[in-house]
Amino acid sequence: MKKPAMTIPARALFWLIAAFALLIAPQWDRLPVWLLVSCVALAGWRWLAQTGRVRLPGRWSRALIMLTLTACYIASVGGHFTVDTAASFFVLAVGLKWLETRQSRDFYVLFFILVYLAAVNFLFQQAIGWTLINLVGVVLLLFGLQVLNAPNLSTRSLGVGRRLGLMLVKTLPVVLLLFVFFPRMSPLWTVPMVSGQSRTGISDTMAPGQISALAQSSERAFRVTFGGPIPPHRDLYWRGLILDQFDGETWTQRQVEPAGAPAPVALDGGMGELSPGDYSVLLEPTNQRWAFSLKPSIALSDNIAPAGQDLFRFERPADTAVRYRLSNVTKPDPATGNLTAGERRRYLQLPADSNPRATALARRLAHQADRSTDVINAVLERFRQQPYFYTLRPPPMPSDSVDALLFDAKRGFCAHYASATAFLFRRAGIPARIVIGYQGGSPGLNDQYLIVRQYDAHAWVEAWIDGQGWIRVDPTAAISPERIESGLREAVADEGSFLENNWTSPERYADVAAIQWVALQLDRINYQWQRWVVGYQGQSQLDLMSRMPGHLSLRDLGYVTAGLLAFALLVAGLFSAWQQRGHWQRDPWRRQLDRGLRLIRQAGIDVHPGDTPDVIARRAAQRYPDAEKELTGFARLANNHYYGGGNTDLSPETDRQNLGQLRKRLVRLRRVLRQARSTRTSRPNR
Amino acid sequence: MTSLWQRWIDRRIPPADRQQLNQRTIFILPTGAGLIFGLLLLIMLVTGINYQNSLIYLLTFFMGALFVAAMHQTHRNLTGLELVLVRAGEGFAGELVPFVLRLGSEKDQAISIELSGAFPPPGPQSIEVGDARDVTLLTETTRRGPVSMGRVRICTRFPFGLLEAWSWMRPRTLGLAYPRPLAPVQSPMTDVEGDQQAKSIVGAGFDDADIRPWREGDLSHRVLWKRFARTGALVIADWSGEQGSPQWLDYAAYPGVDVETRLSFLCHQVLERDQAQQLYGLRLPGMTIEPGQGEAHARRCLRALARFGLASGEPGADLVPPEETGDLL
Repeated sequence: MKKPAMTIPARALFWLIAAFALLIAPQWDRLPVWLLVSCVALAGWRWLAQTGRVRLPGRWSRALIMLTLTACYIASVGGHFTVDTAASFFVLAVGLKWLETRQSRDFYVLFFILVYLAAVNFLFQQAIGWTLINLVGVVLLLFGLQVLNAPNLSTRSLGVGRRLGLMLVKTLPVVLLLFVFFPRMSPLWTVPMVSGQSRTGISDTMAPGQISALAQSSERAFRVTFGGPIPPHRDLYWRGLILDQFDGETWTQRQVEPAGAPAPVALDGGMGELSPGDYSVLLEPTNQRWAFSLKPSIALSDNIAPAGQDLFRFERPADTAVRYRLSNVTKPDPATGNLTAGERRRYLQLPADSNPRATALARRLAHQADRSTDVINAVLERFRQQPYFYTLRPPPMPSDSVDALLFDAKRGFCAHYASATAFLFRRAGIPARIVIGYQGGSPGLNDQYLIVRQYDAHAWVEAWIDGQGWIRVDPTAAISPERIESGLREAVADEGSFLENNWTSPERYADVAAIQWVALQLDRINYQWQRWVVGYQGQSQLDLMSRMPGHLSLRDLGYVTAGLLAFALLVAGLFSAWQQRGHWQRDPWRRQLDRGLRLIRQAGIDVHPGDTPDVIARRAAQRYPDAEKELTGFARLANNHYYGGGNTDLSPETDRQNLGQLRKRLVRLRRVLRQARSTRTSRPNR
Repeated sequence: MTSLWQRWIDRRIPPADRQQLNQRTIFILPTGAGLIFGLLLLIMLVTGINYQNSLIYLLTFFMGALFVAAMHQTHRNLTGLELVLVRAGEGFAGELVPFVLRLGSEKDQAISIELSGAFPPPGPQSIEVGDARDVTLLTETTRRGPVSMGRVRICTRFPFGLLEAWSWMRPRTLGLAYPRPLAPVQSPMTDVEGDQQAKSIVGAGFDDADIRPWREGDLSHRVLWKRFARTGALVIADWSGEQGSPQWLDYAAYPGVDVETRLSFLCHQVLERDQAQQLYGLRLPGMTIEPGQGEAHARRCLRALARFGLASGEPGADLVPPEETGDLL
């Protein structure tokens, strides 16, 4: 654009900076601190420069700042490309741009980057509150644009807010219709991961003490809606992954699961009715491929696939919220077949000489029992009978942790007991494995759905019994039935260690009814938001459409959208045309006369205010002799109507006839004038 | 192609001194920023599709709908705006001639309207409902004679600068450019009586002051207000006392000089005489302006010089502001 360099008015800059502040807010927990600080500093600098208190840096210091920050950025990114790093880059770009925001062009550059940043923010934060903050940020940007484009008006006389509000209200129906009907295609190509950062949640190794750190977090892990009533707490074992290799300290996966390359996969499990036994899980991002499920289950949505060991996996790590659905098949399949020799070896693996006391105990138990189940029962009985305690404050057990737990400390957390139990089973010759996941969950408002939080993380054991297959053995249930029956809060109520390090969590104050109620209300709003708005994706759209008459397919939806758009544009156009027709004449005579005058004006004849019809007709006839008849007729009819034809007033009937005549005359006049003008223009000299 | 487009535009917007902008005459297209905005929407949509993020869809639709709303808003910003040429100015060839346009808005507030096609462009104008504002546009001239203002472009980018609505106006009334004043190299060869006297008068001081009654066209600062206070009679101090010796500025006084240069010489002299507040007349072939003085007289002479030899009958520069509303009957 060749517009002259226009400086940015201070008020426009103010809105821009305010929008920036809002739009980086959703990133606060992922942006590096140095970046946040320097962005705030740079924006502040720009503002002070606008008010004239300081000067913007010169070319050299600007280059220096730019190089320094870019170097910091490159160092912190370290070659990983995710949306996360891209978003940091946007923020960095905006921060640096503050120093050279001089012209309106720079303003637009910032506007575009910030709008896209708002879009990127939605990848990280989809809660309703963050959505509002993002939208407000965009609205502030639009305020800034209005001020920028009307620099000589005060904000008040501009009415920026009112104008924008009206525009939003008018466009809202179209936006909503588009949202519902725009076909949700499957991803066009593979996109990089949203974030490479690790998130709060269970990990694929288990060393004593790890899950107890999770127990201090009340972040949501996932929420579940059931087709029927929520099953009892004790049955809710959410299996995530299996650890089968023990080195004496840490349980790991023998076969490290492939991280799963990012692939274009559906994230939406649909929103159709749930039959009894079905359940739909809305998982918060984990950056892992684990889909938590009850056992036994079969996958209903196609975004998860069975991965063996009765587990399910996403094709692409869950870098944003994912919804999937499963069916909890109530009758488990009879365990068919046996473990192969390899599998048996795998599930019996133990380090050679560790935990001698536990080894002795296991050998003794195995010796006494006839069957595997006897060993299992004996172990559980031991936990029940002897003073074992379930605690979030276990003593340190540096070496031979199984021995230390079983014989000395007798105080531990689910991970300790699961580890010890699996160790005993394996030493006793029973194939066993550790299952990691969540146990239980707390009901949402009105028991509509189940909220599973990080502190519900749990570890238990599965043991192989010939003829029965893998059966669940949870030592924690033997030691602390409260943990399994009602949850961690009750289990550690005496100890008082529930969320003891987490002062800000509303869960900590759940005994205050008001706080609990507010927290549940908020969660419900957000859950509904997540389910119906955020989660409204391909499968949900098809589900919805299949419930509507016509059973629209994705292709039909494309047509519907195109039609809707065309219709909306047409309506908007007609509406605005109608609005602009302020001088629409009700008087039919006036309308026809205006039309005639327009024709004459278009033909290049001057019409001055105060000219009588006769004068105009004569003037036009001089230039267009061909049209003389029509012109004089036009003038005569006009005169007759307005000044009366002769002495008597015209009867209404004649008047109407005259009006019809005038109409016909104007049609002819138009034709004649057009012909006359075309012959005129075809001649080189007029 | 361009000419076809121009012809179409010209037919659509006939020349007129008064023009109310409406759907027929307003054009609208995205600006550069608007095109980039479209691209941004596309990128956002693709992001939304690939990450299957409903909220990005929502934001994209929201921004897209806003773009359409902005289109209507920008268009409406111009609709109903009435432009009236209230004064077609006069000036010297090679200088800038002022034209005054009155912008009025009846229905909608018109915000940040820019007028271009003139030099230098005046800043953005905002007109409240029912308000009017005069804007002076300067038009460059090269030759003497009638000056057309040409095509004035009226445009707006409000509210977001993503779209530009524009229209043109082609005022019919012409301004006038006087010849470019040039000091004659040699003194004019006048065959008029009183030549000697004229020379002696030039540069004379107050000594020759003469007193005559006030006539129309006399400047107020030449009224002898002291005498008026004393006697109640408006009298003028005529410093050079040329009454008896009118000086003629004659076209024929510069033999061998081409027409335009002659006119330039005469123009210079008219200005000189006027500044010295002398009495002078102008003789052109086929036209004589009797000696006189004062602003009106000078203007008459300048106009005669400006129009000399050009096809007459062009509308005069004394444009009366047209009456309000185009009520014909």
